[in-house]
Parts: sequence; C-alpha cells; structure tokens
Amino acid sequence: MALVEVLLELVFIVAAMLVTATLVLVGPRRMVAALYGFRWRLEACVLPFAALVVVLLLRWSTQDIVQRLERRVLRNNITPYLFELDQALFGTDPVAVLQSLQTDVLTSFFVFIYIYGYAFLLLFPFIAYFALDEMDDLSNLVVAFTANYGIGLVCYTLFIAFGPRNVDPLLFEGLLYEAFPQSRTLTNEINQNTNVFPSLHTSLSMTVFFLAWVTREKYPLWFPISAVFAISVAFSTMYLGIHWFSDVIAGTALALVSVYIGVNYTIEGILVSIRQFFEAQGQPPNADGE
Amino acid sequence: MKDVAPPTTRRGLLAGIGVGATSALAGCSERLWSQAETPGSEQVSLTIKTVPADDNRLAASIASHLRENYRAAGIDATHEPVTKAELYRDILLEGDYDVFVARHPGLDEYDALRGLLHSRFRSEHGWQNPFQFSDVTADDYLDQQRVATESDRRDLLTDLIDHLAETAPYTVVAYPHPLSGASAEITVPSPPRQPQEYIEILSQSDNGPRDGPLEVGVFGEELTERLNPLTVDRNRIDGLLDLLYDPLARRIDGEYVPWLAEEVEWTEEDGIQARVTLREGLEWHDGESLDAEDVAFTLRFIGDTSMGDVDGGVPAPRYRSQQTLVSTTNVVDSQTVVLSMSDTTPAAARRVLTIPVLPEHIWDDRSELLADRQTRALADDNDDPIGSGLFSFADATTDLEIELEPFEEHVLRGATTGPDILDGFSQFEGITFRVSPNPGAMVEALIDGEIDVTASELPPQHTEPIRDAENVSTITGTTDAFYMIGYNNAHDELSNPYFRRVCSRLIDREHVVSEFFETFAQPAASSEELVGVNSETWGHDNLETDDEPEILRFPGTDGEVNTSRVRSLFQDIGYRYENEELLE
Repeated sequence: MALVEVLLELVFIVAAMLVTATLVLVGPRRMVAALYGFRWRLEACVLPFAALVVVLLLRWSTQDIVQRLERRVLRNNITPYLFELDQALFGTDPVAVLQSLQTDVLTSFFVFIYIYGYAFLLLFPFIAYFALDEMDDLSNLVVAFTANYGIGLVCYTLFIAFGPRNVDPLLFEGLLYEAFPQSRTLTNEINQNTNVFPSLHTSLSMTVFFLAWVTREKYPLWFPISAVFAISVAFSTMYLGIHWFSDVIAGTALALVSVYIGVNYTIEGILVSIRQFFEAQGQPPNADGE
Repeated sequence: MKDVAPPTTRRGLLAGIGVGATSALAGCSERLWSQAETPGSEQVSLTIKTVPADDNRLAASIASHLRENYRAAGIDATHEPVTKAELYRDILLEGDYDVFVARHPGLDEYDALRGLLHSRFRSEHGWQNPFQFSDVTADDYLDQQRVATESDRRDLLTDLIDHLAETAPYTVVAYPHPLSGASAEITVPSPPRQPQEYIEILSQSDNGPRDGPLEVGVFGEELTERLNPLTVDRNRIDGLLDLLYDPLARRIDGEYVPWLAEEVEWTEEDGIQARVTLREGLEWHDGESLDAEDVAFTLRFIGDTSMGDVDGGVPAPRYRSQQTLVSTTNVVDSQTVVLSMSDTTPAAARRVLTIPVLPEHIWDDRSELLADRQTRALADDNDDPIGSGLFSFADATTDLEIELEPFEEHVLRGATTGPDILDGFSQFEGITFRVSPNPGAMVEALIDGEIDVTASELPPQHTEPIRDAENVSTITGTTDAFYMIGYNNAHDELSNPYFRRVCSRLIDREHVVSEFFETFAQPAASSEELVGVNSETWGHDNLETDDEPEILRFPGTDGEVNTSRVRSLFQDIGYRYENEELLE
C-alpha cells in the first residue's frame, strides 16, 4: 500500500515536470507532428528498444539468482577499499564534508533531485529525441542506456559494496531514508543496499548529459538544464550518504563508455557482426587449416 | 686546517676502488642475506566484520567506534559490513573473520557457556565455539561444572568466569533494553520478542476481543524466507518460529513451564533421568498426531542431521549445547519418553526441555546429504513450516507480510489446566507480521495506525517521532541478548590471550551506552556480565567473581583512547611500535 502511494506521487510530479519541459523545449506543434508519425518513428528504433527490454527482463527474472551468486558464491566485498580510497584521495571523507554543509533546504533539494529529478532527467530525452526528424539520437540513447545498465549489473554481481550510510553511522548519515523513509519501499523494488559500485544514478544521469552535448544544436537549452540536473544527481548521491566518491567517478566513467558505445554502435551492426562471426566459425575447415 | 692529499696515481686509484667496492659489497651482501633470511615485522592488521547500518545501526556504530580505537592503537583496522545472513554464515559456519561485532540472542544458564567455548565444539557450526577457542583450563571448568554438586558448582563457575575475564575469548559490550512502539489502543506489557511476550499481549482482556489479527511491524530484508528453525545463516523475526514450534517446556521468567509436556519427573539414580509425559491429544499443524517418537527423533536429529549416514555426524548448528546433555532417550509409550543425562547437574539438565520438537514425518526425509557437512535439513527453506505451536503458518505470499493463524486443535487452547500465562488467551485472531524496509518506515506505519506494535529492534534514534505522536508510545523491557565482540583464535595475534585482553579494553562501554544506545542499555560492568550473564534478567545470586576485571578499564576518556596509554599496554605484553604502527 505504501508502495502504491509513493509511486503515485512519483508519477504525478514527474509527469508535471515532463509536460512542462516538453511544452517549453520541444513545443506543442512539434510534439503533435511527431505523434502523428509515431509508427515509423518507433519502427526505426525497435531493435534498440528490444535490447533494452531484454536486459530489463533479464534483470527482473534473475534477481534472486544474481543476489545469491553475488553474496554467497563470488563474495567480493570491496566496501573497505571504497571507504579507504575516498579517504586516501582527499585525506578526509568527501561524503562527510558534503554532509557537514547540511541544511533542511539542501536536504529537501537533494531528496527531490535524487528521486524526482532523476526520473525526469532519464525520461525527458525519450520525448525530446522522439520529436526529432531522425531517430538516430533516440537509438543512441537507448543503446547507451542498455550498455549502461548491462555493464552496471555485471559490476553489481561481481562486487558487494555498501554505501557510506551503511558502513559508518558515526561518520555518515543516511539522510534520504531519515528524511523520507517510505522511499525505501520504492528503491528496494529496484535495487539492494549491496549494489553501490558504480553509481547507476550518476552514470545514467551523466549519459543523458553527455548525449545532450551531442545534440546541443538540436536542443540548445536542454544541454545546460541536463548539466544542472546530472551534476546535482551526482552530488545528491553523496550528500544523501548513498554513494562514495569512488562510485560517482566510476559511474561517470561508465557513462563515457556507454555514450561511446551508443554513438558508435547500433544493435543492428552488433547483430550482423555476431552472425558473421558464427558463420565463419560454422564453415568447414578448408584444406590449409588444421 | 688544510689537508695535503698524497698524489693520486691511476693504479692506486683503481686498486682503491677495487678494495672499496669488494668490502662494501661484502658488507652489503651480508645485509642482503640477513634481510632475506629474517622477514620484516609487519603491522598488525584486523578486519572487523559487522552488519550494515540498515540491519543494525547499533552494531555498526560499535564497530565504527572500535575501528577508530584500534587505529589509534596502531592497528591496521578495516571495517567490513556484511548483510546479517552472510555475517552469520561467515562467523558461525565458516570461521571467516578476525573480529566481529554482533548481537547474541543471550544465554539461558551458565551451562550455555559450554556450547559457546568448549574446545570439543571447535569444528561445529552455529554458536558452538565460533571463536576456535581451545583452552585446557576452561575446558576443565566447563566439564566439571556440569557434574558438580550445587555448592561446588558455584565455586567452579566463579573460577571459570575469572579465568574467562583473563583470557577474553570474546567480550560483551552492553545489554540492550528492548524497545518497541505500541498503539495507545492496546496494552503491551513488554516489547514482543519471545513467544511468551506475544502471548501476554494476545491475552490482555482490555485488548479485545478483536475480530482480526494482532498486526506486528518488523523491518529488514529476507525476513519471510528461510523459516527453518535449525539454520543460523539467515535474517529472522525474533520469536516467530518459536510461536510455530512448541518445546516440551518454555523458560518464562527463569522458570521452566511445562508446555507440550504434561509433567516432567526428575529422578537421580545413575545420573539424571527426566521422565516426560506428553499432554494428551497433541497434534501437528497438518493433523498428524504428535507422540514421544517425535521427541526422541528431534534429539537424535539435532545430534546428527544425516541420521547416521556420515561418520561423526552432521550436528545441527542450533540447540546443540542443550542436545548434548542427553546421553540416551527411551520411548516408553506414545506419551512417555525417558531422557537420561549421565553427567549433568539438574540446573543444567532442564535446558534440554526448551528444544523445539520437530515432526519426524517431515524432517526424517531431510537427512539426505547435499554437500560436505550439509544435509537437506540445514539447507531447506522450510517454506511451509509444520509445527505444533499455538499458531500455524498461513501465508507469506509476498515478501511484505507473514500471516499466522490460530491452531484451533492445540490442546492448550481453551484448556482450563494449562500454564497461567494462557489466562485470557486469545483476544485476537492470529498474528500478522508486516515487513517495512527500514525502521523509519516501520515507525510511520505505527503512527499511521497500520500496525499495533513493533517487534524488530527499534534503534533509539527512531523513538522521537513515537514520543511526539499522541496515539502511540514507546515501551521497554528486558532481554538476555547482548552486543559482543568476538575474536577468531585462529588469527596470529588474536590467539594470544594477552592481546585479546588489551583489545577488549579498547571499547568504552559507558560511552557506547550513553552515545549510541542513548542509555537504552546497560553496559557490561562485571566479570559475569563480560561473558554474557545478564544480572538484571537472570535474577540469581551473583557469583563472587573479581570485582574489577582489568578489561573494564578503558585507557582513555569519553570514548577516545589515550594513545600513549594504549601503546604502553601493548608494549607491556611484548609488542613494539615503529612509526606509530603496532608490529607483529
């Protein structure tokens, strides 16, 4: 029941943000025109969407197995390294320094950004790129998200890592769940507390930001807006005690890799090269070969 | 003054260089050899394992305090959080840790120390000597206290506890006061953790009758999975499985109240014998009848869950120290069983009655071996637990709730001759546990009226909203449970009792209680309390142990250690420092 309430609130707030942004950045006329051509637009990027759905389904269906593999078989707990790496880089705890700036207003702002701002940041590019005349940017976005999520999940399986709030309640505060305990019902549905390296909040946000730079000529205003949101999301993860500085750096690096993959590869191209590879393997060995 | 150097010839120069180089190399090579032959001293390093703050904020805070104090002492201390189920696996099954901070469910009698510390349990799982402790003197005391007469036993126990204060195989930090929040609409005598506390709430006449279950709030992950009473590597709701599985007798306020047993007759000839007569008409939740064979089976099964398939057996990780009290069981008829305990004093012997009885027709098939020292009984999730308790398991369709429904066929329901605690039982129709993701959400559910009472340990930091709200209040009670620091005796340094003793001093118990527990706890303050004997709840005459054990003297003030004092403590026991690092 609590989950439904939290979810409804999320839907209302994010929908309001999306409508506003669409009206201002895309414009009603362009949006209506795009909706008329929704069929060819969706057909143009059906493969990347299929890939994203496959990764999400895989995630959803293997959650129990992956968790068991991560915690009971692989058991690579890297939490102490992240803690000490942060201290070694700054000589102090960057998360604790951010939290020392704590005020009620700042906490409310970062909670808002972490939950609603993040959802908005991830969803708006779908609308914006859908309204363009070509679907290349939308494809890039979907491929980049897929790569991002896929690589992130591999890391989550390989590494057990707890965030600052979970390691040391004396140094760090779990501000998000203190300010808004019910949000845990939502985040629990999506993730576990052992998955903090890398920060997918950061990497998906940074992916949107980097792609906004790629498309800055088509949506000049979106580039600075996404910059503000993405950087705020990165800071919010640390301020709220959820991620280490190292997670944020790793998340940003993952975003770069994902954007590179998104811009330079298409699902079609990847499928073709996989097929060619297997065809080459499947051919009978020629006379010269052993 | 000016030196006049002799003129340098080329030959002289070369010869000089040659001699110099050879002698330098000779010195150097000796040094190299020496260095290669004697490995250098390294800094002592310790990894502290504990649960993440999500699972237990208090344990995480103690571990953090300990880490800082170890570091101040020059130890390379690392802090590794592990989820509750995995922590139990690491410390209780695999011995994979250096130091751990955990909440122990509590000891019921001095004899429980035997399970915790006797070297015969070193290779066993569960809370059976998880420290790899083996100490001839301690073993002797633990064996002798079992057979001694009542007055000799007190002397032996005194010696044992003084000895443990010297050797510190583990050390107790504090005894928490259980905290719960409860709706103002119902009377809650004490925070529900154990079955009797649930029964008390359910029996209060001003709480009902209610046309529905008691709604209990808990928090944590994986609480609805693994409902196996024999396993230790899981997260659990305290008391839930004890409501489903009845023992022969329950320990309530230090008294053993017959439960499945109608009566227990003790005789002392040739050791101790307990002649247990079961109540008439006992049934399992699936309708099968419960008889003396089930009791005998349970004891045998806990001793060896492979039922003889594996040499040496695969004992269960729980109830083992109680089960080892019994040497033979003899089923007289379907309602009577005689338990013979050859080397045991009556005080210790009664502990055997508190083991939950398991249905033979279900558990007998679970003796199959799955992996090395792992039978199906120890791996099974037991997702449809069949017990004989006052409640039967109805449902856990989602991971958000568990429903227990009244087991109407239970002989103690509606009986006029049952235990006093059942007067007025029950004003409710069953119990529903609602799982929240964290303590904050659990508290919100209470204030919103979705639950009647909270059962998971409520961190003191979360009591404020409860005190501020009008329709709810906090209640505290007592428990045997304690927060402890355990040491792995297989670790190079931790095998040294002097080292463990100094380590045990590096926690400021008063500070921990006032700062982290916000005074909802009582610091360990005597030799007995340092090993887990809670003088508040046991209600016994304290032993005459050493009044001021050294371990209680914290070398510092207000939680901060005094570095030079700590260093001299380690230096006094033969350690040295280099660059402020404690060397092996």
